[in-house]
Amino acid sequence: MLFREAILNTSGLQFLVENLDLKSSLGRRFLLNSKMMCDELEITAELNLVNQFVLLQTTDPNTEILSKIEHKLAQLRDIRGTVNNLLGNLVLDDIEIFEIKVFALLTQEIEVLQKELKNVVLEIPNLQPIIRILDPQNTKIPSFYIYDNYSEELASARKALKITKAKQGVTDKEVEACFDAAQKLEDKVREDLCSKISCFGEDLSQALNQLSHLDLLIAKANQALKLNLIPASVSKENTSYKGMFNPMVKNELENQYKKYQAIDIDLEKSVCLITGANMAGKTVILKTLALCQYLFQFGFFVPADSAKIRIVDKISTSIGDEQSELNGLSSFASEMLKVSEMVEDAHKHENVLILIDELARTTNPVEGLAIVNAVAEIFYQNKIRSVITTHYSGLNSCFRKLRVVGLDKELGETLITRKNINSYMDYSLVEDYNGEVPHEALRIASLLGINKEIVEKAKTQLNGKLVINKC
Amino acid sequence: MPFLNKIENYSSLSIVGLEKNTGKTECLNYVLSRLRDSHKQIALTSIGIDGESRDQVTHTQKPEIELSEGMVFVTSELHYKKRKLLSEVLDISRQSTSLGRLVTARALSKGKVLLSGPANNKAIKELLADLKKKGVDLSIVDGALSRKSLGSPAVTEAMILATGAALSANISQLVFKTQYVYDLIQLPEINTKLKTKLSEVGSGIWSVDVEENITDTGISSVLLIDKKKDKLFKYGYHFFVSGAVTDKFLDFLKIQKQISEIQLIVRDFTSIFASSETYYAFVKRGGSIRVLNHTNLLAITINPVSPDGYTLNSEELKQALEHKLDIPVYDIKRI
Repeated sequence: MLFREAILNTSGLQFLVENLDLKSSLGRRFLLNSKMMCDELEITAELNLVNQFVLLQTTDPNTEILSKIEHKLAQLRDIRGTVNNLLGNLVLDDIEIFEIKVFALLTQEIEVLQKELKNVVLEIPNLQPIIRILDPQNTKIPSFYIYDNYSEELASARKALKITKAKQGVTDKEVEACFDAAQKLEDKVREDLCSKISCFGEDLSQALNQLSHLDLLIAKANQALKLNLIPASVSKENTSYKGMFNPMVKNELENQYKKYQAIDIDLEKSVCLITGANMAGKTVILKTLALCQYLFQFGFFVPADSAKIRIVDKISTSIGDEQSELNGLSSFASEMLKVSEMVEDAHKHENVLILIDELARTTNPVEGLAIVNAVAEIFYQNKIRSVITTHYSGLNSCFRKLRVVGLDKELGETLITRKNINSYMDYSLVEDYNGEVPHEALRIASLLGINKEIVEKAKTQLNGKLVINKC
Repeated sequence: MPFLNKIENYSSLSIVGLEKNTGKTECLNYVLSRLRDSHKQIALTSIGIDGESRDQVTHTQKPEIELSEGMVFVTSELHYKKRKLLSEVLDISRQSTSLGRLVTARALSKGKVLLSGPANNKAIKELLADLKKKGVDLSIVDGALSRKSLGSPAVTEAMILATGAALSANISQLVFKTQYVYDLIQLPEINTKLKTKLSEVGSGIWSVDVEENITDTGISSVLLIDKKKDKLFKYGYHFFVSGAVTDKFLDFLKIQKQISEIQLIVRDFTSIFASSETYYAFVKRGGSIRVLNHTNLLAITINPVSPDGYTLNSEELKQALEHKLDIPVYDIKRI
């Protein structure tokens, strides 16, 4: 899976990318086209690189050098088209050669800066030979034309042109002829130049790649420092997070001067059901789990105090309303199709992470519960790492269940409203051994300040005093 | 030629033709030839395409723009490849125009080049700023007063206007038409404080009150004025119009009873698309117009030869213009 696909259905990932301070369009492209890593060595290698930059960023002389490198990276242009032309053995025009020269000079400068850092982190190809060819006057100034130095013949042709132009009574035709002669020589020199630098095409391509990667690594490290992200370690067994948080939600809460409560969660190689009151953050937990898994396997640090993550081959989620009127499917139908796909996936490769929010919530509770139990049982039997949130009571007792603590605290006289509910809700998860789910829907609904009549009528219904409407 | 001394005081100059074949390119070549001896670093660019060896509309002979050694020029990739001189690439823009990216280069030999440049105001301003940063003392913009282009030459500090027989075969008509543009160019600029406020406004008609606070009237364009007339005077009688000012709008304003209090603020003189008759009627009734960006008109040049073949009396035309307008007038060919 490519990053550009993962980002489409993971809102938390979008938030992080929007806040990722990439300096060049190349860095962004590099990120979007990066593949989800499923190999332990690959992931740890990338995380180690990010970690090195985090360390560099926090030690003094290096911070300054890094900011210089970032400044240089901001000048980076996407010249892949030009490099491809070069690799395709085409003759480049002056503008393209100029681009290559500017890029080579920039690469050189970044390489020099990188050497000033305590340890050279990324291997950047040496483009000195190209610079030597394209800067025959050794000025290091980023400008280019077919210099006189390249060919004596050209130099004298140009001189002749100049003299002809300056002559009195010279016809346009004569000037034209001189110009054409010089042009022809120029073309030949350009051809030679291109064949000379074309053997460094691979180096250029490699350098482009490495600089893009460098841009991404620095951005990842800066973001990790800014958002307090940590490197997760690879786990062979359970995935476990201590103090996991969702950066997007946390940011939003902080904007409202509210606090985000981080949570701990352990995922075994089996199904796990999460229950809890409304507004208790179940959906956020699922979204954060998906986010962290993606971040980890795309080589980012994760939002938690500590994390051990089991690598998976695929992440499947069903979070939010999947209804699609255009396909003629109801929300129930599209959810079921998605879940069916997940179950088939689960049979094919066992190493997946499946996250389903409020399975079968759009149908009647009797059949809904049956569906939840059925799907959970398939995941349980096939040992699929999966999390399902639900409001249904009567879940099969063999499944592991976690419950959001919710509004369990003794609150006394405190008046809870929609505005402050966040401060009284306990979002942490506890193991739950009975199959009952909390009945707090009405309480939460009344806290939200909905029409009182609804709440009262509903309460009467619950108390069995069914009022028959005689109209 | 006296106005060359005046150019020294500015960092950007546009040369604008009122019509095709009014001698704009002649004028440009003249200015360039005169500046050749000064020690200033000069850069040359254009709004849209310029410098064709034949006029693309009337197919009359047209002088090419001749650069001398050391001059910086900006043109599109496409035209850079067609250049007839030796030059060194200094920079390439990130943004692309319809003719490719813009190449900034330095001429290393004398020669001719096709000029093309950015097509909108923001890009021209950025380019001028960038050239200044590269050490250019004077940037000359070959500008057209085209209603089709989003770019306006009024972003430059100074301007030379080229007019001539191509505009009208009748001297008094020609003087009248030129005077209209002259009057628009001379529109006074608003104060700097209000200017900073208004330069951030994106679009629509904004009301400016006595304390210079700006409020969006909710009318997104002058073209929609018919349906929203009632909203216009809600906050006052001074307006900033971000887009074009049309005949219809001025006609509507001029019949209002508060006409003497009405003041319009436009981006620059090229935003006024109204006919001269409407504009003068509006002013006569007591309305006034101010601009966000004023440009200093240095001189008017004339080309008495029309592409249709007839020739006006150069001296007569010069006198007629000078009599009406308070500005030096020159026939480039006769200096």
